[in-house]
Amino acid sequence: MESKHVHQQIAAMRQSFFDEEVLDEFFSQLEQLEDQNNPNFVEEVFTMYFRDSTTLLETVEQAMKTISITFAKMDKILHQLKGSSASVGAKKVLNEINKTRQVLEKGNLEGTKAGIWEMRKEYESLKAKLEPYFQLKQANSVPQEK
Amino acid sequence: MAPTLPSGDQASDQDNWDNGRLARKRQLLTEIVLRNRLTALVVDGDTTCRVLEQLLLRSYEVQTQGVDNGRDAVALIASGVKFNLIIIDMILPVLNGLEATRQIRDMGVHCKMLGVTACSGESERQAFLAAGVDVFIEKPLDPEHLVPILRELDGQ
Repeated sequence: MESKHVHQQIAAMRQSFFDEEVLDEFFSQLEQLEDQNNPNFVEEVFTMYFRDSTTLLETVEQAMKTISITFAKMDKILHQLKGSSASVGAKKVLNEINKTRQVLEKGNLEGTKAGIWEMRKEYESLKAKLEPYFQLKQANSVPQEK
Repeated sequence: MAPTLPSGDQASDQDNWDNGRLARKRQLLTEIVLRNRLTALVVDGDTTCRVLEQLLLRSYEVQTQGVDNGRDAVALIASGVKFNLIIIDMILPVLNGLEATRQIRDMGVHCKMLGVTACSGESERQAFLAAGVDVFIEKPLDPEHLVPILRELDGQ
Protein backbone atom coordinates (compact mmCIF):
# COMPACT_ATOMS: atom_id res chain seq x y z
CA MET A 1 0.00 0.00 0.00
CA GLU A 2 2.75 2.33 1.01
CA SER A 3 4.62 1.53 -2.21
CA LYS A 4 1.47 2.34 -4.23
CA HIS A 5 1.16 5.65 -2.44
CA VAL A 6 4.78 6.54 -3.16
CA HIS A 7 4.39 5.67 -6.85
CA GLN A 8 1.30 7.84 -7.00
CA GLN A 9 3.29 10.63 -5.40
CA ILE A 10 6.10 10.22 -7.98
CA ALA A 11 3.57 10.22 -10.81
CA ALA A 12 1.87 13.32 -9.45
CA MET A 13 5.19 15.12 -9.08
CA ARG A 14 6.09 14.23 -12.65
CA GLN A 15 2.75 15.42 -14.00
CA SER A 16 3.08 18.70 -12.11
CA PHE A 17 6.32 19.44 -14.00
CA PHE A 18 4.38 19.37 -17.27
CA ASP A 19 1.29 21.12 -15.90
CA GLU A 20 3.43 23.98 -14.58
CA GLU A 21 5.41 23.99 -17.86
CA VAL A 22 8.65 23.54 -15.96
CA LEU A 23 9.48 20.72 -18.38
CA ASP A 24 8.44 20.01 -21.94
CA GLU A 25 8.17 16.98 -24.23
CA PHE A 26 11.95 16.62 -24.51
CA PHE A 27 11.97 15.42 -20.92
CA SER A 28 9.69 12.60 -22.09
CA GLN A 29 12.18 11.90 -24.86
CA LEU A 30 14.88 11.46 -22.22
CA GLU A 31 12.65 9.07 -20.29
CA GLN A 32 12.26 7.01 -23.44
CA LEU A 33 16.01 6.48 -23.53
CA GLU A 34 15.96 5.03 -20.02
CA ASP A 35 15.99 1.25 -19.72
CA GLN A 36 16.80 -1.61 -17.37
CA ASN A 37 20.51 -1.33 -18.11
CA ASN A 38 20.48 2.34 -17.23
CA PRO A 39 17.54 2.93 -14.88
CA ASN A 40 18.85 6.24 -13.51
CA PHE A 41 19.69 7.68 -16.90
CA VAL A 42 17.44 10.74 -16.64
CA GLU A 43 18.81 11.61 -13.23
CA GLU A 44 22.37 11.20 -14.54
CA VAL A 45 21.63 13.51 -17.44
CA PHE A 46 20.25 16.14 -15.12
CA THR A 47 23.24 15.77 -12.79
CA MET A 48 25.45 16.55 -15.79
CA TYR A 49 23.20 19.44 -16.86
CA PHE A 50 23.07 20.98 -13.38
CA ARG A 51 26.83 20.63 -12.92
CA ASP A 52 27.71 22.33 -16.20
CA SER A 53 24.92 24.91 -16.09
CA THR A 54 25.87 26.01 -12.58
CA THR A 55 29.38 26.80 -13.86
CA LEU A 56 28.03 28.65 -16.91
CA LEU A 57 25.58 30.68 -14.84
CA GLU A 58 28.30 31.63 -12.37
CA THR A 59 30.54 32.69 -15.26
CA VAL A 60 27.89 34.91 -16.79
CA GLU A 61 26.96 36.38 -13.39
CA GLN A 62 30.61 37.17 -12.74
CA ALA A 63 30.93 38.74 -16.18
CA MET A 64 28.05 41.08 -15.35
CA LYS A 65 30.02 42.41 -12.40
CA THR A 66 33.08 43.38 -14.45
CA ILE A 67 33.41 46.84 -15.90
CA SER A 68 34.06 45.77 -19.43
CA ILE A 69 31.71 43.04 -20.49
CA THR A 70 32.25 41.12 -23.65
CA PHE A 71 28.77 40.75 -25.02
CA ALA A 72 29.93 38.22 -27.56
CA LYS A 73 31.39 36.05 -24.82
CA MET A 74 28.22 36.32 -22.76
CA ASP A 75 26.09 35.40 -25.73
CA LYS A 76 28.28 32.37 -26.31
CA ILE A 77 27.64 31.18 -22.76
CA LEU A 78 23.92 31.86 -23.04
CA HIS A 79 23.88 30.00 -26.33
CA GLN A 80 25.41 26.97 -24.67
CA LEU A 81 22.92 27.17 -21.81
CA LYS A 82 20.13 27.42 -24.34
CA GLY A 83 21.21 24.26 -26.12
CA SER A 84 21.55 22.12 -23.02
CA SER A 85 18.36 23.46 -21.42
CA ALA A 86 16.40 22.73 -24.61
CA SER A 87 17.90 19.25 -24.78
CA VAL A 88 16.72 18.26 -21.30
CA GLY A 89 13.30 19.89 -21.68
CA ALA A 90 13.87 22.68 -19.13
CA LYS A 91 11.15 24.86 -20.60
CA LYS A 92 10.96 27.78 -18.16
CA VAL A 93 14.74 28.08 -17.96
CA LEU A 94 14.88 28.07 -21.76
CA ASN A 95 12.24 30.80 -21.99
CA GLU A 96 14.26 33.06 -19.69
CA ILE A 97 17.45 32.39 -21.63
CA ASN A 98 15.73 33.34 -24.89
CA LYS A 99 14.36 36.54 -23.37
CA THR A 100 17.76 37.46 -21.94
CA ARG A 101 19.52 36.86 -25.25
CA GLN A 102 17.06 39.15 -27.02
CA VAL A 103 17.73 41.90 -24.48
CA LEU A 104 21.48 41.31 -24.72
CA GLU A 105 21.34 41.64 -28.51
CA LYS A 106 19.90 45.12 -28.11
CA GLY A 107 22.84 46.08 -25.87
CA ASN A 108 20.60 46.63 -22.86
CA LEU A 109 22.92 45.99 -19.93
CA GLU A 110 20.46 46.52 -17.12
CA GLY A 111 17.88 44.44 -18.89
CA THR A 112 20.45 41.67 -19.33
CA LYS A 113 21.27 41.71 -15.63
CA ALA A 114 17.59 41.42 -14.79
CA GLY A 115 17.23 38.62 -17.31
CA ILE A 116 20.13 36.68 -15.83
CA TRP A 117 18.56 37.04 -12.39
CA GLU A 118 15.30 35.57 -13.73
CA MET A 119 17.23 32.75 -15.40
CA ARG A 120 18.93 31.92 -12.12
CA LYS A 121 15.56 31.96 -10.35
CA GLU A 122 13.99 29.50 -12.79
CA TYR A 123 17.10 27.33 -12.78
CA GLU A 124 17.12 27.06 -8.98
CA SER A 125 13.41 26.37 -9.02
CA LEU A 126 13.94 23.53 -11.50
CA LYS A 127 16.69 22.02 -9.34
CA ALA A 128 14.55 22.31 -6.23
CA LYS A 129 11.69 20.48 -7.97
CA LEU A 130 13.71 17.75 -9.68
CA GLU A 131 16.12 16.77 -6.93
CA PRO A 132 13.46 15.43 -4.54
CA TYR A 133 11.69 13.79 -7.48
CA PHE A 134 14.81 11.86 -8.49
CA GLN A 135 15.57 10.96 -4.87
CA LEU A 136 12.08 9.57 -4.44
CA LYS A 137 12.30 7.67 -7.72
CA GLN A 138 15.65 6.18 -6.90
CA ALA A 139 14.59 5.21 -3.38
CA ASN A 140 11.60 3.37 -4.79
CA SER A 141 13.12 1.67 -7.76
CA VAL A 142 15.67 -0.47 -5.93
CA PRO A 143 14.97 -4.08 -7.02
CA GLN A 144 13.66 -6.37 -4.29
CA GLU A 145 16.11 -8.97 -3.04
CA LYS A 146 14.88 -12.42 -4.06
CA MET B 1 0.55 17.64 -24.34
CA ALA B 2 2.92 15.42 -22.36
CA PRO B 3 1.77 11.86 -21.72
CA THR B 4 0.14 11.32 -18.37
CA LEU B 5 0.55 8.26 -16.27
CA PRO B 6 -2.60 6.16 -16.32
CA SER B 7 -4.18 5.53 -12.94
CA GLY B 8 -6.22 2.39 -13.57
CA ASP B 9 -8.17 0.65 -10.89
CA GLN B 10 -7.35 -2.86 -12.07
CA ALA B 11 -3.60 -2.72 -12.69
CA SER B 12 -1.24 -1.31 -10.09
CA ASP B 13 0.23 2.09 -10.69
CA GLN B 14 3.65 0.47 -10.89
CA ASP B 15 2.38 -1.81 -13.70
CA ASN B 16 0.87 1.14 -15.51
CA TRP B 17 4.05 3.16 -15.14
CA ASP B 18 6.17 0.27 -16.47
CA ASN B 19 3.77 -0.45 -19.33
CA GLY B 20 3.54 3.19 -20.25
CA ARG B 21 7.29 3.55 -20.24
CA LEU B 22 7.74 0.38 -22.26
CA ALA B 23 5.11 1.50 -24.76
CA ARG B 24 6.83 4.83 -25.21
CA LYS B 25 10.18 3.09 -25.66
CA ARG B 26 8.70 0.68 -28.21
CA GLN B 27 7.20 3.60 -30.06
CA LEU B 28 10.60 5.20 -30.23
CA LEU B 29 12.47 2.06 -31.24
CA THR B 30 9.98 0.74 -33.78
CA GLU B 31 10.24 3.94 -35.72
CA ILE B 32 13.11 2.35 -37.60
CA VAL B 33 15.03 -0.88 -37.92
CA LEU B 34 18.34 -0.33 -39.65
CA ARG B 35 19.53 -2.93 -42.12
CA ASN B 36 23.06 -1.59 -42.20
CA ARG B 37 25.44 -0.65 -39.43
CA LEU B 38 25.65 3.13 -39.59
CA THR B 39 28.29 5.27 -37.95
CA ALA B 40 28.07 8.84 -36.74
CA LEU B 41 30.34 11.52 -35.34
CA VAL B 42 28.84 13.99 -32.87
CA VAL B 43 30.67 17.28 -32.50
CA ASP B 44 29.36 19.36 -29.60
CA GLY B 45 31.18 21.36 -26.96
CA ASP B 46 28.41 20.91 -24.43
CA THR B 47 28.63 17.61 -22.54
CA THR B 48 24.87 17.24 -21.94
CA CYS B 49 24.00 17.82 -25.59
CA ARG B 50 26.79 15.60 -26.90
CA VAL B 51 25.90 12.72 -24.58
CA LEU B 52 22.20 12.97 -25.38
CA GLU B 53 22.76 13.09 -29.12
CA GLN B 54 25.04 10.07 -28.96
CA LEU B 55 22.54 8.17 -26.83
CA LEU B 56 19.70 8.99 -29.18
CA LEU B 57 21.73 7.68 -32.11
CA ARG B 58 22.72 4.57 -30.16
CA SER B 59 19.08 3.86 -29.38
CA TYR B 60 18.76 3.31 -33.14
CA GLU B 61 21.91 1.17 -33.04
CA VAL B 62 24.06 3.74 -34.78
CA GLN B 63 27.69 3.41 -33.74
CA THR B 64 28.82 6.81 -32.52
CA GLN B 65 31.88 8.75 -31.57
CA GLY B 66 31.91 12.15 -29.90
CA VAL B 67 34.34 15.05 -29.84
CA ASP B 68 33.94 18.34 -28.02
CA ASN B 69 35.58 20.79 -30.42
CA GLY B 70 35.93 21.56 -34.10
CA ARG B 71 39.67 21.01 -34.32
CA ASP B 72 39.43 17.43 -33.02
CA ALA B 73 36.59 16.74 -35.44
CA VAL B 74 38.68 17.90 -38.41
CA ALA B 75 41.70 15.95 -37.17
CA LEU B 76 39.63 12.77 -36.78
CA ILE B 77 38.25 13.04 -40.30
CA ALA B 78 41.69 13.91 -41.66
CA SER B 79 43.06 10.73 -40.05
CA GLY B 80 40.85 8.74 -42.39
CA VAL B 81 38.03 7.70 -40.09
CA LYS B 82 34.82 7.56 -42.07
CA PHE B 83 31.30 8.21 -40.88
CA ASN B 84 27.90 7.95 -42.53
CA LEU B 85 26.71 10.95 -40.58
CA ILE B 86 28.25 13.95 -38.85
CA ILE B 87 26.26 15.97 -36.37
CA ILE B 88 27.92 19.27 -35.62
CA ASP B 89 27.10 22.31 -33.52
CA MET B 90 27.76 25.79 -34.86
CA ILE B 91 29.44 27.28 -31.81
CA LEU B 92 32.35 25.11 -30.76
CA PRO B 93 35.52 25.62 -28.77
CA VAL B 94 38.93 25.92 -30.49
CA LEU B 95 37.55 25.77 -34.05
CA ASN B 96 33.97 26.85 -34.64
CA GLY B 97 31.42 24.68 -36.38
CA LEU B 98 31.24 26.76 -39.55
CA GLU B 99 34.97 26.56 -40.17
CA ALA B 100 35.16 22.92 -39.12
CA THR B 101 32.38 22.10 -41.59
CA ARG B 102 34.16 23.96 -44.40
CA GLN B 103 37.40 22.15 -43.70
CA ILE B 104 35.69 18.76 -43.59
CA ARG B 105 33.99 19.44 -46.91
CA ASP B 106 37.25 20.75 -48.40
CA MET B 107 38.76 17.35 -47.64
CA GLY B 108 36.27 15.87 -50.06
CA VAL B 109 34.02 14.37 -47.42
CA HIS B 110 30.53 13.97 -48.82
CA CYS B 111 28.74 12.26 -45.97
CA LYS B 112 25.51 13.66 -44.55
CA MET B 113 26.16 16.53 -42.18
CA LEU B 114 23.54 17.85 -39.80
CA GLY B 115 24.05 21.23 -38.23
CA VAL B 116 22.35 20.84 -34.84
CA THR B 117 22.57 24.08 -32.95
CA ALA B 118 20.87 26.34 -30.44
CA CYS B 119 21.06 29.12 -33.02
CA SER B 120 17.67 29.80 -34.51
CA GLY B 121 18.12 32.83 -36.76
CA GLU B 122 17.73 32.68 -40.50
CA SER B 123 21.18 34.22 -41.04
CA GLU B 124 22.78 31.49 -38.91
CA ARG B 125 20.84 28.87 -40.83
CA GLN B 126 22.01 30.20 -44.17
CA ALA B 127 25.59 30.49 -42.96
CA PHE B 128 25.66 26.91 -41.73
CA LEU B 129 24.15 25.60 -44.95
CA ALA B 130 26.60 27.67 -46.98
CA ALA B 131 29.48 26.20 -44.93
CA GLY B 132 28.38 22.74 -46.02
CA VAL B 133 25.85 21.12 -43.72
CA ASP B 134 23.00 19.39 -45.50
CA VAL B 135 20.36 20.01 -42.88
CA PHE B 136 19.99 22.68 -40.21
CA ILE B 137 18.22 21.59 -37.03
CA GLU B 138 17.53 23.75 -34.02
CA LYS B 139 18.38 21.91 -30.79
CA PRO B 140 17.38 19.56 -29.44
CA LEU B 141 17.85 16.75 -31.93
CA ASP B 142 14.70 14.63 -31.91
CA PRO B 143 13.52 11.41 -33.58
CA GLU B 144 11.18 13.34 -35.85
CA HIS B 145 14.15 14.91 -37.61
CA LEU B 146 16.58 12.07 -37.16
CA VAL B 147 14.57 9.03 -38.26
CA PRO B 148 13.95 10.10 -41.89
CA ILE B 149 17.65 10.88 -42.23
CA LEU B 150 18.65 7.48 -40.84
CA ARG B 151 16.19 5.78 -43.21
CA GLU B 152 17.72 7.65 -46.11
CA LEU B 153 21.24 6.67 -45.08
CA ASP B 154 20.11 3.08 -44.64
CA GLY B 155 18.70 3.04 -48.15
CA GLN B 156 15.11 2.49 -47.00
